[in-house]
Amino acid sequence: MYRSDAEQLIRKSIARFVDAEIIPNAQEYDNSKEYPKEILKKIADMGVFGIRYPKDRGGCGGNSTLFCIVCEELARGLMGLGATVAMQCLMGTNCLFIYGNEDMHEHYFLPAMKGEKFGCFCMTEPEAGSDMGAVSTRAEKTNDGWTINGMKTWVTSGPIADFYTVMCQTNPAKKIRGLEFFFIPRDTAGVSVSKPFDTLGTVTSKISEVSFTNVRIPDAFCLTRDGQGTGYLFSVLAEIRCMTAALAVGLQRAAMDDAIRYARERQAWGKPIGNYQLIQAKVANMAVNLEASKLMTYNALKMVDRKIECKNEASMAKYFATEAACSAADSCTRIYGAYGYSMEYPAQRHFRDTRFLLNGGGTHEILQTNIAKWVGL
Amino acid sequence: MDIVVLVKQVPNTTDVKLDKNTGNLIREGLESIMNPDDRNALEFALQIKAEYGGTITMVSMGPPQAVDVLSEAMGMGADKGLLLSDMAFAGADTWATSYTLGKAIEKIERFDLIICGRQAIDGDTAQIGPQVADFLDIPQITYVTDIETVSNKEVIVKRRLEDGHERVASQLPALLTILGGANNPRYPNIGGLLAACEENAPLAAWNAADIGVMVNDVGLAGSLTHVIKTYVPKFKRQGETLEGTTAEVVRQLIQHLGKSEGASACKAVAATCRLMADTKQEGI
Repeated sequence: MYRSDAEQLIRKSIARFVDAEIIPNAQEYDNSKEYPKEILKKIADMGVFGIRYPKDRGGCGGNSTLFCIVCEELARGLMGLGATVAMQCLMGTNCLFIYGNEDMHEHYFLPAMKGEKFGCFCMTEPEAGSDMGAVSTRAEKTNDGWTINGMKTWVTSGPIADFYTVMCQTNPAKKIRGLEFFFIPRDTAGVSVSKPFDTLGTVTSKISEVSFTNVRIPDAFCLTRDGQGTGYLFSVLAEIRCMTAALAVGLQRAAMDDAIRYARERQAWGKPIGNYQLIQAKVANMAVNLEASKLMTYNALKMVDRKIECKNEASMAKYFATEAACSAADSCTRIYGAYGYSMEYPAQRHFRDTRFLLNGGGTHEILQTNIAKWVGL
Repeated sequence: MDIVVLVKQVPNTTDVKLDKNTGNLIREGLESIMNPDDRNALEFALQIKAEYGGTITMVSMGPPQAVDVLSEAMGMGADKGLLLSDMAFAGADTWATSYTLGKAIEKIERFDLIICGRQAIDGDTAQIGPQVADFLDIPQITYVTDIETVSNKEVIVKRRLEDGHERVASQLPALLTILGGANNPRYPNIGGLLAACEENAPLAAWNAADIGVMVNDVGLAGSLTHVIKTYVPKFKRQGETLEGTTAEVVRQLIQHLGKSEGASACKAVAATCRLMADTKQEGI
């Protein structure tokens, strides 16, 4: 009997949703800067949040490639939405899925799969970004559990989350090897969340600081132990980078689609500007970069799904696809001419949203440093 | 309540382009989708199942890749899919298609209701539903916009007329054809889509032998009609929508009429209107 190709089927279904429900309203969502609650409910109802988790644990039985196909398509519609969904599907729930106990599974993970609760990942600190050994949020063992003190920043979905996966230092002498992950429900005494940041791009994705002051949690909320945290961090980082690359691919497609549409419509000297070679060259470069980005991203993802180490491939894909997204958004604004400078057209949104991609999953400066090291320098 | 939903995979366009030399549909670059009216039909079936229980069996005739519309339907909540696929089915007109679908449905052990879209966006005939009902000798209600109640014995629906609606009751089993826009079809669930792609998914494929038909009775050979020529309609004139208040629209119309080349009658109308406008100012 014939069977459908799962990747094509999922892509087509999500693309139809994005074309009908997101793209026609993307500008409105972006202008309002509101958290798009209703559209996220629809995404949850489609089972998207469980896409990369097994069926017997409340997921859909998909994999990382399928998850990133969804991220790519959503980012093609609205990057802020793609960022929020990516957080919920991966960083916000993954550590709980792997290390959480049955109680956490029932009361947090399963509701998160249905979109009834949201989780997020607290890693970056005001003084510790790429240098994770400098993380100062401290987890101290007590007789009956742990006490957490510190502050996290640039927490995507921080303002809307019901629970946090927090990277803490358990032994400062061990530096990066002392990092472990803790589960902290938002309603725990001592947890406070700042107002959402006023950001340049991805304005529908809510980002904030989350601080922990003498937060007491039971021992069971320590998700990783005895150095597991560092291993988990490095393994999830590869998938985060692939996911960011997929978001960048989505943005490239959006920028190219809009640029082509405008180049066909806009007339100069009696013909569409798309008939002029300098515009064609820009679109051709966008298309070539897009194709290369797709190949690199989905090649790395196949390695993630086969559990083959791919830190280098994932870093290269994230670096290349994001730089290509920056270039595509820049070209899009240029093809729009003066209208690329107007807030009424989508070109400016693509341009602003690229800044989110540059930092999430590692800055390009640190990625380039790592890539050079990994290839032997 | 056991429901059969007929579904067709169609090219994603209402602006069909034909090869000038062969007269065939140009499929290159065209995405294939579930026929939009069929999506509305499935949504009603899913609503009935949610209220009364039962099963939904999707039936489609097409090439192997048409399995995608069955998978999508299962992602939306259908229980089973049946693909009628055989080279012998190719080139069928509506008669041969309805005969093939009817023979397959006969082989399905039990059904209370058959629901299908009013028409497919590629053929636009709206004949398949009525012809299948005729073949199976069951009542049919076309142009349905709402299904009001369903019981074990009858269905009451609202159907569109040229000048309004009427409520119609029919005994079961019956066939309904659903108008596009009659409801708001749900999006597929990711888990359901993935389950439909698995080897053990409840999807079956039947060929001519499976449904017990002779190859001369189906496909091009079994068709009662034959296409002599296909061509792309030429649009010599294109419409334009004028926007604004009534007065503004009339003014724009007057300007357009005045510019019409070689149309003295239009110019005369324009001149008359202009005169009226001058006289009555805003009260055109």
